Amino acid sequence: MIVSRQFDVVIVGAGAAGAITAKRLTEAGLDVLVLEAGPASPKTIKGYDKHLQTFYTAYGKGPESAWPANTNAPQPDTADARYNDGYFVQHGPDTYGSSYTRAQGGSTLHFLGVSLRMLPEDFRMKTRYGVGRDWPLGYDELEPYYRKAETEMGISANVEDQGYHGITFANGYDFPMERVPLSYADQKLGAAVDGKPVTIGSHTAALRIRSYPAARNSMPRGSYVPVGAVDMHDDGQQIDPLMGGRCQGNTACTPICPVQAKYHGGKSLAKAKQQHLEVRAQSVASKINIDPVTGLVSGITYKRYDENGHTTHEAKGRAYVLAAHAVENAKLVMNSNIGVDKDVIGRHLMDHPTLYAWGLFPEKVFPYRGPLSTAGVEDLRGGPFRSQHAAFRFDIGNDGWRAPTGDPDALVLREVMKNKRFGKALREQVTATLSRQVRMSLAVEQLGEPGNRVTLDRRFLDPLGNPRPAIHYKISDYTLKGMLAAREVSKQLFRHAGVEDFSDKGDAKWFPSVQYGGSTLRYHGMGHFGGTHLMGTDAKDSVLDLNQCCWEHPNLYMIGSGSFPTMGTSNPTLTISAMAIRTAEHLIKEFGARV
Amino acid sequence: MNMVNHMNKRLDTFLELSVALTGFDRLHLISTGVGPEYLAALDDIISTAGADALLQAFSTLPATDDGTLLVGTILDDATLGPVARNLTVLWYTGTWTQMPEAWRAANAHSARDTAHVVSAASYLAGLQWSAIGAHPAGALPPGFGSWALPPLGVEA
Repeated sequence: MIVSRQFDVVIVGAGAAGAITAKRLTEAGLDVLVLEAGPASPKTIKGYDKHLQTFYTAYGKGPESAWPANTNAPQPDTADARYNDGYFVQHGPDTYGSSYTRAQGGSTLHFLGVSLRMLPEDFRMKTRYGVGRDWPLGYDELEPYYRKAETEMGISANVEDQGYHGITFANGYDFPMERVPLSYADQKLGAAVDGKPVTIGSHTAALRIRSYPAARNSMPRGSYVPVGAVDMHDDGQQIDPLMGGRCQGNTACTPICPVQAKYHGGKSLAKAKQQHLEVRAQSVASKINIDPVTGLVSGITYKRYDENGHTTHEAKGRAYVLAAHAVENAKLVMNSNIGVDKDVIGRHLMDHPTLYAWGLFPEKVFPYRGPLSTAGVEDLRGGPFRSQHAAFRFDIGNDGWRAPTGDPDALVLREVMKNKRFGKALREQVTATLSRQVRMSLAVEQLGEPGNRVTLDRRFLDPLGNPRPAIHYKISDYTLKGMLAAREVSKQLFRHAGVEDFSDKGDAKWFPSVQYGGSTLRYHGMGHFGGTHLMGTDAKDSVLDLNQCCWEHPNLYMIGSGSFPTMGTSNPTLTISAMAIRTAEHLIKEFGARV
Repeated sequence: MNMVNHMNKRLDTFLELSVALTGFDRLHLISTGVGPEYLAALDDIISTAGADALLQAFSTLPATDDGTLLVGTILDDATLGPVARNLTVLWYTGTWTQMPEAWRAANAHSARDTAHVVSAASYLAGLQWSAIGAHPAGALPPGFGSWALPPLGVEA
């Protein structure tokens, strides 16, 4: 065992949460070691470009296609869900459809970039609606950190669009960059449906096609300087990561933004104070070691691998921050058999089970251009119905029917092989159909339930001897009712716009499905894992306090969406980042800044 | 005919056939730069003899054909039709589709007859993107804010 020198803080995971924490701590002069299980390849332009080439030549081009799995740090792939033959050992009864990526930069390498704040009511679900849990802190306490996270990630939006369902902003604040322009299709859809009513049960809301805050470079406000591609070399050389260009409309946020106009964790790492930072990639944490006398973490055992095999090391710090992902954090804690309550860790696993709705607009709206999406419908994210069923939001795609049906390739195949079209007639058919395609993702809230959990399956070990995660997952009636309501609202929206709904007609790709209320709901995961090591106010039913500090081991922290008691309907990365900054500031206060 | 002339003539016929199959004009197909690569893919996967049979059949059609003879001679032919349809899909998507089972049972083919993206260049050259005034996802972006307007060159 090779034992490292003493760092101030050891961070496990170089995704957004770990990278943002490392940046804050090093800026305060604290010495930080970051262990990354996957490769460091995305940190140079050359390495990143290889991932882009991998995407170009990938057959199928799924959400992970630019980021292939690594034998020593395996990862789930959404394509595994169909035959349950991937990294997750799925015990059902329902299929957990989400994935994540183990590489320097983490899953932000292929996230969409939707950066919504949670609603004030999302933090108070138990008090307000009698379901789920309350957070140990509220919106007002997190608001300053949301602002810091929006600067760190480089969020583009206009405050004037974002003050709904009680979301408030500090006086005079606006986002670091102006909103990303709405797509032509968004504008056409908005002209047709804005202000129109939709009804679920006794609740009526007025629709609005609304720009959402995006982690994509747009027009900077004031003195803000957008961050672009990173190019960090082992000899310490790096190009100025400040040279960030605007989004060019590559229509590939997922799986890879070719120009890095979209945020990823590697940008925060590149901007950390390098003299206080050491990043060790291809280093898989396998065990948290506890001092039996003090109960403090004394080190983290990890295995560093290359093409020749691996060596075993122990990383030493004063504090330890697990930022490896909701599933990997829980896996590491369970694999270490430490003092964390075994009836809480790994439980309350959440996602946003998501339905697609797709159809043909009455006129050409020219999709397959622009960022993958630029607008959403946020009007049903909150409301009195939440005591009865889940809330939801829609994301409006700019990529036609690619996600639900595999178009444009699938359409071409259908027209050529089945409908025997060729020549001008083929071209006209392709143009006429693809140009009118509209798609929405209906992302539905899920509450944390103890039966939905991650456990370890020691029958399956990866090459480094780490067990694979097993998933136990059932979508509750609360969420299923929300899925039905979301489907109903999508139908009403399409009717207002004159969109011919194809969601229930053939030709869709395979997706997991669940039966409810006489309907077959075909859903997919959003990659929004949550709840596996949740925060609370009591050690009896939570893993962490409001600083994301472990109740049992006071120098152990776990960050990321695993800490969330509820997820509301927000894509979690912005809240992950805000909470990471808050915890970093807590650590700096504990240790004292050295600058 | 010397070798260079033969190859030029062969590519020329291949492009004319591709114009008839795709509905895109010759200049557009040449500008993609992938024509020679696609002909080489046919030679590799279907065999040179198989590609020649397709080109030979096409070269017998009069230039005035409105598609009727193309259907009768090539697209409805049990051997040539599936190859021509695969070639059409290749031009539109950059992806080779595995030949149908019945065709594979009756005709020679190489181990490369699997579903695959022929190359990064072929992905970028897909005609499906130009057909709608778009661009291949992840490449050749039209620039900041362009998505707020309808694309140039496609009728609204």
